[in-house]
Amino acid sequence: MKAKDVMEPLREYLTPGLTLKDAIHRMRGAKRNTGLGPKGLVVLDSNGNLVGMLSIKDILRVIIPSYISLMELGNFTWDGMLEDMARRVAGRKVEEVMSTEVITVDPDAPLMECADLVVKHNLQRLPVVDDTGRVAGILYVRDLYYAIVRALMDKEEDE
Amino acid sequence: MTHEASTLSQPFVMDTAFWTATTIFLLAYAIIVSEKIHKTVVAIAGASLMLVLKILAQHEAFHVEELGVDWNVIFLLISMMTIINLMRPTGFFEYIAIKSAKLGRGEPFRIMVIFSVVTAVLSALLDNVTTVLLLAPVTLLIADALEVDPIPFLIAEALASNIGGTATLIGDPPNIMIASKAKLDFMAFIYHLAPAIVIIMGVFLVVLKLLFGRRLTVRPELRERVLEMNEKEAIKDPLMLRKSLFVLAVVILGFVFHGMLHYEPATVALFGAGLLLLLSGTHDPHHYLAEVEWPTIFFFMGLFIIIGGVVKVGLIKWMSMKVLAITHGNMFATSMLVMWFSAFASAFVDNIPYVATMNPLIIDMAQQIWPDLHGLELLHNPELMPLWWSLALGACLGGNGTAIGASANVIIVGMAERAGRKITFLKFMAYGMPIMVLTVALSMVYVWLRYYVLGF
Repeated sequence: MKAKDVMEPLREYLTPGLTLKDAIHRMRGAKRNTGLGPKGLVVLDSNGNLVGMLSIKDILRVIIPSYISLMELGNFTWDGMLEDMARRVAGRKVEEVMSTEVITVDPDAPLMECADLVVKHNLQRLPVVDDTGRVAGILYVRDLYYAIVRALMDKEEDE
Repeated sequence: MTHEASTLSQPFVMDTAFWTATTIFLLAYAIIVSEKIHKTVVAIAGASLMLVLKILAQHEAFHVEELGVDWNVIFLLISMMTIINLMRPTGFFEYIAIKSAKLGRGEPFRIMVIFSVVTAVLSALLDNVTTVLLLAPVTLLIADALEVDPIPFLIAEALASNIGGTATLIGDPPNIMIASKAKLDFMAFIYHLAPAIVIIMGVFLVVLKLLFGRRLTVRPELRERVLEMNEKEAIKDPLMLRKSLFVLAVVILGFVFHGMLHYEPATVALFGAGLLLLLSGTHDPHHYLAEVEWPTIFFFMGLFIIIGGVVKVGLIKWMSMKVLAITHGNMFATSMLVMWFSAFASAFVDNIPYVATMNPLIIDMAQQIWPDLHGLELLHNPELMPLWWSLALGACLGGNGTAIGASANVIIVGMAERAGRKITFLKFMAYGMPIMVLTVALSMVYVWLRYYVLGF
């Protein structure tokens, strides 16, 4: 099987100029095939080209002040600090916060290649980009896992 | 007292080598100032050209004290950086910073004063960059906890760091270089510069009081956030901390007595680095050594070779003759000129290449004024001494003038920006330049009173 066979078609995406607050709102509203909300969305510019990805990790990263990660200062925080910092970054633009180096696969990529990329780069999702540069869909870690599940279950049924 | 200069000095010829070396030197300086290419790359490339074009022989660049790399400076820097790298993971610096904030009882202005004093003292004993690198993150944390603007705190720390660093031989790179060239020991710096710095620091704190004393207020419940922090949680490795503090104490004692015991400062620092590496029991020295700021170290090495080239061809001699022509050998006038020129030069260009150029220039000038003196008699001539101190005060305090004047400023501005608080060039200068002029003016009065009026 290939990436295009197990990916979910692209339904929801973000644009670079959105504020973080609006982006979070849109992420909450989005649904996947499984009914769960995605923990990250692709960012497309006005021409529909992939320019980045915004995930929960990116949002956490921007909320944690640089000085805490720079030194061992995690012990010296206070109740309500996370919420304060979240309010402080609410107006930041998606393009300032998103990851811009997005690893993608093409629709005909074999699943083993996808699995390798996911593990090597610690990814949760892989945008599937066709040869015109459009994002055709998203391949989630779970989709790969389901492919494994199916392979093993089919085997059992054969026996 | 005036002297007839230049007549007795050895002549030099403005030949091809002279112009080649001068071109490399000026070009390197211009590119470093323009920041188009990283300064370390410029220094290494310039140094290699001095060798390839046979201005200097490799032997001269590597092994001749007057022309090549000053290994005393290099090993002092590497060793001190290694000691700090071994100390950092213990949490000692976080402990000091949190403790300081609590000593300030969560009151912003008290915290600003305590942080400034702590920064100054640490900068005198360690290097300035390390000090601000370790204190600025805690400053940002405390400012967020108190919901006050961190920028005045950060600028005050950068300024205090450059002031404090001026007080000792190891406090600031210009002093390390001056000490090595002029063969001055740690206690000489303490004896001659520390009193000036204590006075300057006092005045600096009064200025802070006038500027910020009333402006900074904070709600009581926010103060609790700081008071509830437990600084002891910062200590990650108490055993290693004790070993580090022991070694640091040995090193500081070593510096205090190195002149008396006839050890070079680099020997003291290298002993400390070796001892702490041994005591740490590490099997992975790679990590601690890799974190040495190698770009800075190579910048120094390249620079020493470039300067060696222009010393050899006589450019420095030519420059010193020009300076003497202006001051007519009047040492008081020369001191004041050197101090103010150094301050403004250091405010806008890196004070490291500046001092690297000035050191041989001053020695050459002294040689022209006192052609019969040699060695320590020349370097430590009572009439020459105020010049070294003026150079140190001007070059170190001049760093406060602009955001690019000293490495500590660059670090502070960079860190503030990463935290989303931009300090513009003009904003820094609005505080830095008046403080620079004030502190250099105080230094001028100090040098004048101490060496030319009271005479000790």
